[in-house]
Amino acid sequence: MAASLPSLAIPGQRLGPASSYSAGPGTHVQQSSIYASIAGPVCLDPAQPKIQAKATLRVSRVATSKYQTRNPQAGAVAAAQPKPRYNTLPAVDSIVLARVTRVQKRQVAVSILVVLDDTPSVGADPSRTASDNDNVASILTSAANPENHSNTDELRFQALIRKEDVRAVEKDRVVMDDMFRVGDIVRGSVISLGDQSFYYITTARNDLGVVMARSEAGNMMFPVSWKEMRDPLTGVGEPRKVARPF
Amino acid sequence: MTDRRRINGPPGGTRPAVYASLLQSATGAADRAQRQRQPTDLRKIFLKTGLIPSASGSSYLEFEPSASLAAARANPKSLIPPSSALKLACTVHGPKPLPRSATFSPNLVLTTHVKYAPFAARRRKGHIRDASERDLGVHLETALRGAIIAERWPKSGLDITLTIIEAEDDRWWGDAPDSHDASWGMMNVLAGCITAASAALADAHIDCLDLVSGGVAALVSEDMTGSSGPPRLVLDTDPAEHRSIVSACVVAYMPARDEITELWLKGDSSKAALEDDDKRPGHEALIDGAVDAARGAHTVLGQAVRESIARTVGSA
Amino acid sequence: MASATANAPPSLSLPPSQFARLQPHAYLLAHLSPPPASNQPSIRANGRAPSQFRVTSANAGSLTHTNGSAVVRIGDTAAVCGVRAEILHTDDIASWSVSESSTAASTAKHQHLADLSDHPTKENKDVDQDSDAADDEDRAHVQGLNLLVPNLSLSTGCAPGFTPGAPPSALAQSLSHQILSLLHSTRLVRADDLRIWYQPPNLGPEDIEPHNEDEQMDVDADQSGSAENRQPREIKAFWVLYIDVMIISLAGNPFDAAWASVLAALRDTKLPKAWWDVDNEMVLCSDDLTQAYGLSLRGLPVASSFCVFEADAAAGWRAVVIPDAGEQKKGSQSRWILADPDGYEEGLGQERACVVVDKDNDGKGKTVIVKMEKHGGWTVDSADLRQLVDISAKRWDDMKRILDQC
Repeated sequence: MAASLPSLAIPGQRLGPASSYSAGPGTHVQQSSIYASIAGPVCLDPAQPKIQAKATLRVSRVATSKYQTRNPQAGAVAAAQPKPRYNTLPAVDSIVLARVTRVQKRQVAVSILVVLDDTPSVGADPSRTASDNDNVASILTSAANPENHSNTDELRFQALIRKEDVRAVEKDRVVMDDMFRVGDIVRGSVISLGDQSFYYITTARNDLGVVMARSEAGNMMFPVSWKEMRDPLTGVGEPRKVARPF
Repeated sequence: MTDRRRINGPPGGTRPAVYASLLQSATGAADRAQRQRQPTDLRKIFLKTGLIPSASGSSYLEFEPSASLAAARANPKSLIPPSSALKLACTVHGPKPLPRSATFSPNLVLTTHVKYAPFAARRRKGHIRDASERDLGVHLETALRGAIIAERWPKSGLDITLTIIEAEDDRWWGDAPDSHDASWGMMNVLAGCITAASAALADAHIDCLDLVSGGVAALVSEDMTGSSGPPRLVLDTDPAEHRSIVSACVVAYMPARDEITELWLKGDSSKAALEDDDKRPGHEALIDGAVDAARGAHTVLGQAVRESIARTVGSA
Repeated sequence: MASATANAPPSLSLPPSQFARLQPHAYLLAHLSPPPASNQPSIRANGRAPSQFRVTSANAGSLTHTNGSAVVRIGDTAAVCGVRAEILHTDDIASWSVSESSTAASTAKHQHLADLSDHPTKENKDVDQDSDAADDEDRAHVQGLNLLVPNLSLSTGCAPGFTPGAPPSALAQSLSHQILSLLHSTRLVRADDLRIWYQPPNLGPEDIEPHNEDEQMDVDADQSGSAENRQPREIKAFWVLYIDVMIISLAGNPFDAAWASVLAALRDTKLPKAWWDVDNEMVLCSDDLTQAYGLSLRGLPVASSFCVFEADAAAGWRAVVIPDAGEQKKGSQSRWILADPDGYEEGLGQERACVVVDKDNDGKGKTVIVKMEKHGGWTVDSADLRQLVDISAKRWDDMKRILDQC
C-alpha cells in the first residue's frame, strides 16, 4: 500500500484514499481522498494502536532527517547548501524562544524568535528539534532589517507572560523585575493564542524560563540556581526565573 | 504637487520620443508581427522559485519572446521593439503578525500588491500605483484566496508582492499608439501573476488546495477590415500579434479540483467562429480555451515546484 | 551538552541556526575570532574572508522597453536598472534663453565634443581635459536642468519590513540621492550626448535638405568648415534619462548593487538620432539602430561598501566614560572591517564606509578616489581607509571585467 505513495508531493496532488489513511499536517481531504496541500516529501506515520486505526499521511515541512544529520552541527555555514525553509506558527503547547521586550508590573512582553518542536519535552535531542527557521543562509541575508531596527519586532509574533504564569509556586510573590530583564532570551510554552496581537506564554515549569541573559556589566551570565544567574567576570549575581539547564 | 520623496525630472515635464517612421505612414516602416504558433500552442514559460532568500517564498517568471521579438533581438535593426515578453518577480512574506491596529482574524489575511516597474511598459509608468495596478491586485487576490487554506494560519498576515519588470503590450505599437481601447496586455500580466504567485506560495509552504495557474484565451479577428470577419479562438494571445482582439478571458484554475477561482472576461464573445459541430456559445468556448491555457501553465508550475522541492531534499 | 560550569556559555546546546538568531552578535564574533586552539582561520559567518566580496554577475540589455537596462546580482542582492530617455524641449524650460543655446564660443566646443562622442572608440584623453567653461556648461545643463533622474525602489517585496505601496522609505530616498549625487560628482554622463541640436537652414543649396539620411547633421556642419557663414546652431531639446532601479532582492549592501546596475545600464544605453523638425515643430527620432549612438561615459566609477564589526560595541564609549575599564583582552582583535556586508552583518555594525574609485587609462593608470564616505563610528582611521582604497582598487578590476563581459 505504501509503495504506491509518491516520495514527493506538490499541492493538489492526490496521495491516497481517506478510507485507508488519516490526513496529517500538510494535507487536506477532498471527496474522500487525501490531497497534498504543501510541497514536500510524503511521510507515512504508522498507525498507533488504540489511538488511531489508520496510518497518518502527511507532507513534511522539513527535509528528511537524513539530510539534517549531514549538516555540520557547528562551525562554518555550508554556504551553498540550500536548506528548507518553512513556516510554523506558534500553537498551543509549542515551545518557543523569545526575547523580552518590555517588563511591566503585571506582565512582560516578549517577541518570539524561534518556534521549537511541538513536543513538550525539548531536552531530548535539540539538534533534531525541528526548528522552524533552520535556514542559516536565509537568516544571514535577512535577519537584520536595514531600515529600522524597531521594525523587526513588528515582524515577529508578540507574546505576553502574565505574572501568574511565571512560576508554579508562590505565584503571588512574583516580582517581575526579579524574574526578567529586557533583552533576556526566554524559553516558554504557549498556553493560548491570545487576542489579536499577543500570544500567552507560561514559564511555570522547571525547564522553562530565562536561558540567556547579560548582566548589567554586559557579560553573558551563567545560571547558579533556579532564581539566580551570575556574571563570570564581576561575580555579581542577578535574580532571574532561570530555566533548568540540561 | 511634486513628489518630494522622489527625484523628479524637469518641472516642465518631458515627452516620449516620437519616431519619424511612425508619422510617415500609419502602418509604419515595420510589418506587424505575425503569430507563428498554432492557435492552441502556448508560449514557453520560464519559472523558477526561491531566488529571493529574504522572502519566505519567491518566484521569477518569464514568457518566451514571441517569434518576432526573438528575431528582432537576434538581428536588431530598429529601436522600436515589435512586441515584448512578460517578466515578473513575486515574493511572499509571512505568515507574520497582523499589524497592531488589525482586528482578530481566525484566518490568514492575504494582501496582494502588483506594481509595474516604471520602465515595464511602452509608456512610462508612474511610481505610485495607478488604477489598473490596483485592479490587478484585486483580481489576483480573489484568484489566490480560493486556493489558500486560510484557516490553518490564524491571526497572521501574508503579503504577496509582484513586480512587473516587463509587461505585455496592449496592442501592436503601430496601431494608433495613443488609443487605449482595451488593456488586453493586462490580462496576460494577470495570468502570469497568478502562476508566479502560486509558485511562490508553494515555495513558502503555505497550505493550498492546489497549484492555481493562470491562462488566457482570446477571440481575434485577423481581417484587415476590422472586426467584421468572424473572430477565431486563440490561446495565450500576444496582443501585439493581432490586428483586433474582440474578446479575451483570463482564468485562475485548479486542475485537481476542476475549479475556477477567478474569471475575467472582456469584450463581445457572441460572434465566435467555432468548428461546425461545436455548439458552445462564444463565451463558453472562450472560458474553455482559457482553462486549456491554464492547464498548460500548470504543467510548468508543477514542474518548477517539484524541482525546487527536489533541490532541497535531493541534495541530502 | 556540558552541564553548567563557570564561564561556559549558557549550557544549552543550540543548533547554529538558532544561535544565529538568538545571539547574532556573539554568533558572528565566534566566527571571526575562533579559539586559538582550534586553528581555524578567522572567517565571517557567511564563509567569506573579511575583505572578500560576494560573487557578482551582470547582464545588460534584456529589457525591451528601455533605452538601456541591466541586472546586477551581488550575492543575494539583485538590482534591475532601466534607463528610459524622454525629450525635454527647451520651450518647456522656464529659465531657458536663446543666448544659452547658441553662444558661438561653446558651439565650437560642442561640435568638437559631439564629434568625439560619435566615435567612442577614439581615445578620450583630450576630452577629459576640456576647459572649465565647457565643464561649467556641462554641469549647468546636466545638473541644472535635471537631465538625470535616478529613482530607487525598495517596495518590491525585496525584504520583509518594506511595505509595498508605501511611499519610499528613508533608505530608498537616501539611496536615490546618493546615486544622483554620484552621477553629478563623477560627471558620468556628458551633456553633449543629451543635447538635440537644430541647424537653421542656410541659403546655400546643400542645406535645403537639412537632415539627409546618410550623414549626421553635426558632422555635416563641422566638415563644411564655413561655420561663420551659417546661422549659429541652436539647442532645441535635451534627452532626459529616467534611471529607475528596482531592488528585486535585498540581502545587504544595496548601494553597490544599485550603482553597478546604473553603470551597466548607462553603458548599455542607446539614444536614437534625433532632430528638430521644423514642419511639425517637434523633435523627431530615427528608429534606425545604425544611427543610434551610445553614451560616452566619463570613466567607470566603482563603489565598494564596508561595514565595521566590533567585538564589544560599547568598548569605545566605556573607555571615555571609565578610563580604567576596557583593555581587558589585549592582543585579540577587537574589530573587523567587512567588505560587501550582507544583511546580517549590516544589522550588527553601525559604522559604514563607502569608497568609490576609478582608474585612469582603462585600468592601467593610477587609482582615483571619486567619493569616500565614512560614518557611524570612530574606529576606522586613516591607515584603514588607505587599505580600503586598495581593496576598492582591486574590486574595480573585478567589476570592470564583469561589466565588460555583460
